[in-house]
Amino acid sequence: MSVVAAGERLPLEVSGRARWAPVLAGFCGLLALAATVEVVLDGAVEHSPLIPKQPAIAGWLSGIGERLGFRVFLIALIAASAAYAGLLALAYARGERAVPRRWAFALIGALHLVIFLGPVLLSTDVFSYIAYARMGVEHGINPYLHGPAAISHDEIFKYVGHDWRQVDSAYGPLYTLISYPLAPLGVHGALWAMKVEAQLASLGTLALVWRCAKARGKDPLPALIAVAVNPLYVIFGLGGAHNDLIMMLAMMGAVALTLTPREGEAGSRREAGAAALIVAGALVKATVAALLPFMILARRRLAPVAGAAAALVAILAIGYAVFGREGVDLVSALNRDASFVSSDSFANEIAHLFGKPGVFPIDHDLLKGALVAIVLHLLWRTWRGYDWIAAAGWSLLAISVTSTWLLAWYILWPLPLAVVSRDRRLLIATLAVQAMFIVHQMTPLVAPVS
Amino acid sequence: MSAPVAPEPYESLWRRLPERLRPRSSELPGRGELRLIEGAVLILVGLLLAVATVNDVARQAGVNHRIVADLRTWRAYTHHDYKNVAADRELLGTATNRDVVCGNTEPGPPKQRPQICLVVTGPTRGGLRTVSGGWYLPAGTEDNVRSARYGCFGSLTTGLCPK
Repeated sequence: MSVVAAGERLPLEVSGRARWAPVLAGFCGLLALAATVEVVLDGAVEHSPLIPKQPAIAGWLSGIGERLGFRVFLIALIAASAAYAGLLALAYARGERAVPRRWAFALIGALHLVIFLGPVLLSTDVFSYIAYARMGVEHGINPYLHGPAAISHDEIFKYVGHDWRQVDSAYGPLYTLISYPLAPLGVHGALWAMKVEAQLASLGTLALVWRCAKARGKDPLPALIAVAVNPLYVIFGLGGAHNDLIMMLAMMGAVALTLTPREGEAGSRREAGAAALIVAGALVKATVAALLPFMILARRRLAPVAGAAAALVAILAIGYAVFGREGVDLVSALNRDASFVSSDSFANEIAHLFGKPGVFPIDHDLLKGALVAIVLHLLWRTWRGYDWIAAAGWSLLAISVTSTWLLAWYILWPLPLAVVSRDRRLLIATLAVQAMFIVHQMTPLVAPVS
Repeated sequence: MSAPVAPEPYESLWRRLPERLRPRSSELPGRGELRLIEGAVLILVGLLLAVATVNDVARQAGVNHRIVADLRTWRAYTHHDYKNVAADRELLGTATNRDVVCGNTEPGPPKQRPQICLVVTGPTRGGLRTVSGGWYLPAGTEDNVRSARYGCFGSLTTGLCPK
């Protein structure tokens, strides 16, 4: 009797869970969307400390929201993070039974659209990109020799972040070349073009995440959700139209090429192409170069070395011709940026924990030493058969954690690799670091300054 | 479908290496000791980062409470209930607990009127701190505070003004 009763109860429980899972997923998706809409609508109202001064591209939305303050922003960030966690847990646990594919695509499309229509969020970087392009195209000034202050009479100058006005470009020559055609569009036109560029790069990256997850025999849906609904990705990365998205597109393009099964000549061409893509990505933003040694060690063929060398020579030759020696001197730019300290960096937090007022020069050396040790360990592990994609992801995570200049979009770098890697620990570690970053933003919520 | 397994390139070259130094296409199934050590290190690093994060939030909250007291002190001292008053913790050194709070002497856009800056020190009592000195700044002063200040007053700041 009891056996029959238990047997009758079990399908009911299963069907009950099955019924609630999509409802819960739908609620999480709507919550993530609502939180993003709230940030965008309030951000469209001017005079917020969180929204950079910018051309009125979202002025038509400004009558709906209220001025974005820290309290509303942080509550929205918490809500989006909780929704993301719930959605991700459901997607990994129950797949399409909880999160139907169409829902996920609709949510991702809606998040992209909302961000596209809204103002630039939380960062002035995009105005630096435009300023460097206008320096070169409109004013004939080399952006690798001068900061935007050299065009203080240009309309874009007033939107460039105060700290970056004297700083020459730290971005790779390929990125500067990509941005040059946008300069003649004017400030408004260039800003919209930058937003389109960020959206296309993001959608391309997500498509490649899907493809790579499938190629690795993983369910692509949770992998896609892990990247595309991530609040740091949506609000900080996409919201700021950061060129990190273009770098990530090149990174995932390279990974996708290595995961496509081809033998012989075709395989060699793909591996050479993958290495060339990594080099191209590194000439947008140098960090992605960290993938190259892992790929070369894992493949142990000449093709990736040849592909990387050919791309490096070709792009640097063009860069040198256009920008001169300074345009191809990426090491100086990296060294300069490595000396900056941001209040959100873990190095700064650890210094405070040990009673120091901040990071000292010796700490920079210690952090570099730690990073070298981690990368050497990962290289050795890759040589002995560890998943090179996971090793590269760990390296990017280590770079962001040991950097004294940490920004939200830097901890996005390892995420697309984490969701397609064979080491689940990488995804857990990446999400944990992101969660700590979000917790660190919460001070104005617990102790507001008025 | 997993990644393609191609034949090991340069196999004859790698054969010259001792077995434990040779490259491998996939990891050997072992007892997981290395993974265990890596996991332990990751947990320790994660704990350190988590403690540092929480500590920093608490530290910054304390700083924010101090800034709130600074702003309240400025408003009480000047009898101006202005919104745009700025506290600077770095001008006199972050380790000193001496903050500089500046605001306009008369209504107007931020920093576009002559400003009065107060040096506030000591613990917070009744929501206020002690004013130990100060100076004035001409309208429009942004960065060059040290050279622009005038009319220094109080025990801590007498003699700091260049003119």
